[in-house]
Amino acid sequence: MELALIGVSHKTAPVEVRERLAFPADKIRAALAKLLERTHAAEAMILSTCNRVEIVAQGPDAQLVRDFICEYHQIPPDAISKHVYSYKNAEAIRHLFRVTSSLDSMMLGEPQILGQVKEAYRLAAEAGTIGSSLSPLLDRALAVAKRVRSETGISQSAVSISYAAVELARKIFGNLTGKTVMIIGASKMGELAAKHLKRNGVGSVLVTNRTFERAVEIAKIFEGAAIPFEHFTDHMEHADIVISSTGAPHFIITRPLAEQVIRNRRNKPVFFIDIAVPRDVDPSVNDIDNAFVYDIDDLQQVIDSNMKERMKEAGRAEEIVDREVQAFCTRMQSREIAPTIVLLRETYEKVRREEIERHRRLLRDMPAEQQQAALAAIDQVTQAMLNKILHNPIALMKEMSADPQGAEFIETVRKIFNIKSQ
Amino acid sequence: MVTHWGRVPPGPKPYAILPAMHVQLLKLALGLYSVGLLHSVFTVLRKKQTLFKPAVVATLIGFACHVASIGIAVYEHRTLMAQRYESFSAFAAVAVLAFLIVYWKYRITSLGIFAFPAIFVMTFVAVLHAYNAPVSVPELLRSRWIYIHAPLVILGYVAFFVTFSAEVLYLIQERELKRKRVSHNRLPSLEVCEDLAYRSLAVGFPLMTLGILSGALWAQQVSGLAWMSDPKILLAFITWLIYLLLIHYRLIAGWRGKKAAYQAIAGFVAVLVTFSFSSGFHANFQP
Repeated sequence: MELALIGVSHKTAPVEVRERLAFPADKIRAALAKLLERTHAAEAMILSTCNRVEIVAQGPDAQLVRDFICEYHQIPPDAISKHVYSYKNAEAIRHLFRVTSSLDSMMLGEPQILGQVKEAYRLAAEAGTIGSSLSPLLDRALAVAKRVRSETGISQSAVSISYAAVELARKIFGNLTGKTVMIIGASKMGELAAKHLKRNGVGSVLVTNRTFERAVEIAKIFEGAAIPFEHFTDHMEHADIVISSTGAPHFIITRPLAEQVIRNRRNKPVFFIDIAVPRDVDPSVNDIDNAFVYDIDDLQQVIDSNMKERMKEAGRAEEIVDREVQAFCTRMQSREIAPTIVLLRETYEKVRREEIERHRRLLRDMPAEQQQAALAAIDQVTQAMLNKILHNPIALMKEMSADPQGAEFIETVRKIFNIKSQ
Repeated sequence: MVTHWGRVPPGPKPYAILPAMHVQLLKLALGLYSVGLLHSVFTVLRKKQTLFKPAVVATLIGFACHVASIGIAVYEHRTLMAQRYESFSAFAAVAVLAFLIVYWKYRITSLGIFAFPAIFVMTFVAVLHAYNAPVSVPELLRSRWIYIHAPLVILGYVAFFVTFSAEVLYLIQERELKRKRVSHNRLPSLEVCEDLAYRSLAVGFPLMTLGILSGALWAQQVSGLAWMSDPKILLAFITWLIYLLLIHYRLIAGWRGKKAAYQAIAGFVAVLVTFSFSSGFHANFQP
């Protein structure tokens, strides 16, 4: 039986194509049923996210799956043919492992895809289209993804502004528990950064804004305290982390102010995150001991360097995937080879016996004794011939059990000898 | 009149367990510590942590051998630091202990880069000196004071070494953060570095104070006020003053970060100078 993976992703298709091919979660169950019916696949799963639509199926003809996709979405086949990729057997397994491990993601190493694969697996299992072939494959794919996450740094370092802020804060303060963050100005990005800091243990949040009502609103979200804008400098010494994002045309936090704050804090460090353009924090504040200033470009630079690190780690992840694909193929094939060999022998043993029985009448004129001897000789000769004929294919199948092309080879043998599973 | 109450009457020569077994054990410990050295070399060369776990395990086993070696030496010589090599050996052992404690408490793997080579070099120096070790134990050391003075001073020195290492890590991390070139290091956070530096200072300072005090009392008993003109003791006093100022600035003036780090490093340079200076009482047997 052949494993096939057919789909489109952000790498092969623009969003206009992907959105037309997407399967909404509530329709997947029905779609799977139709898919099995239309393509004669034994098992199938549909993975549909904003960056990819993929169908993993056991046993279908790839062309039938393509046809199904077009029919289901009522699109002419030409419209998608150049965007669709299809993989078979080992290549399909590799692709699935890479996707699940986030090696094929738009944002390398992003963690969501693992959950999306799990969800697709669950939907297919509920629809009853997962069986003894896809179930071990998907279990393995999830295990490989976990292995890649824990053994490589592919999803370790921050690749968004707000995570970069948390990462840097950790380098200064270690544990963020009990630290205080002050938000100056109301902006989405500032709020997001504060949210991540809070989730990572930051204790109290102080919010200030030119419009006090807005400050109160944001403070409510974080269960923090709102401070009138005129007085925020008086409270600044309590803040370990200051996130500034006002629309002010000049520096809000000047060097003398920062020096005063650090002095009042008895030199306890302060981390200024300046995400405003034009900037809010005088860059020379960074020259003060125990003050650390990161503006939007600095954070971007941290992200870029982290991204490079992820690329490097992706190389190691690919090696892990390679080894896992190899191991999985070997396991699956050796599981498939033994029954194939048994089946092959049984099929031809049956043919042999039937043929002997059919030609028995040729011996009917012989005396009983001679007939017995002749039958014994025929039996021996045909047995020996059969063994000779089957020897090579069986030996080759055993040899191919560790080969990525093994599944195809076994399929070929099955076809040539016309053997069917019971 | 000086009363020599601290003197131990010279007893019969103790039984040696095995000829120079303590030296053999020390060599074994050195061999095991070399795994740590390899860790540091490879980690620096490859810019990626290598062999850390094996290094910790080897160091742990090495430490057991090391302690056994010191125990046997003390038993055989009936005193601490009878030979020059034994003081190096004792330093190394306490350094290993300090490293293991800090690792256990803080899980700072990057500290190993400093600690492992330091441990190896100290043990190596000890092994080198073990070859031409004098057989007889100097009369001066047959005093109970040695059991008070030596451990205090050694513990103090090692605590200051921990302060120094933590402050160096602080400076590296601080520079990276200021330059905004945050690499993918596994250095501890600034707060952890400061915490470790301050705690080890708080442990080291009283130990060193008592160590110097006990040394002065001992010297007083042996030869009156002559110790006051001993340059090594003078240096020790200067070192002590630097650390006193360091503690003062931290507590009273609220010094933190870079300033405190530079001062702690200056203090440790003074420690090294004091340590390597041999004069007066320490001239013959102890650096």
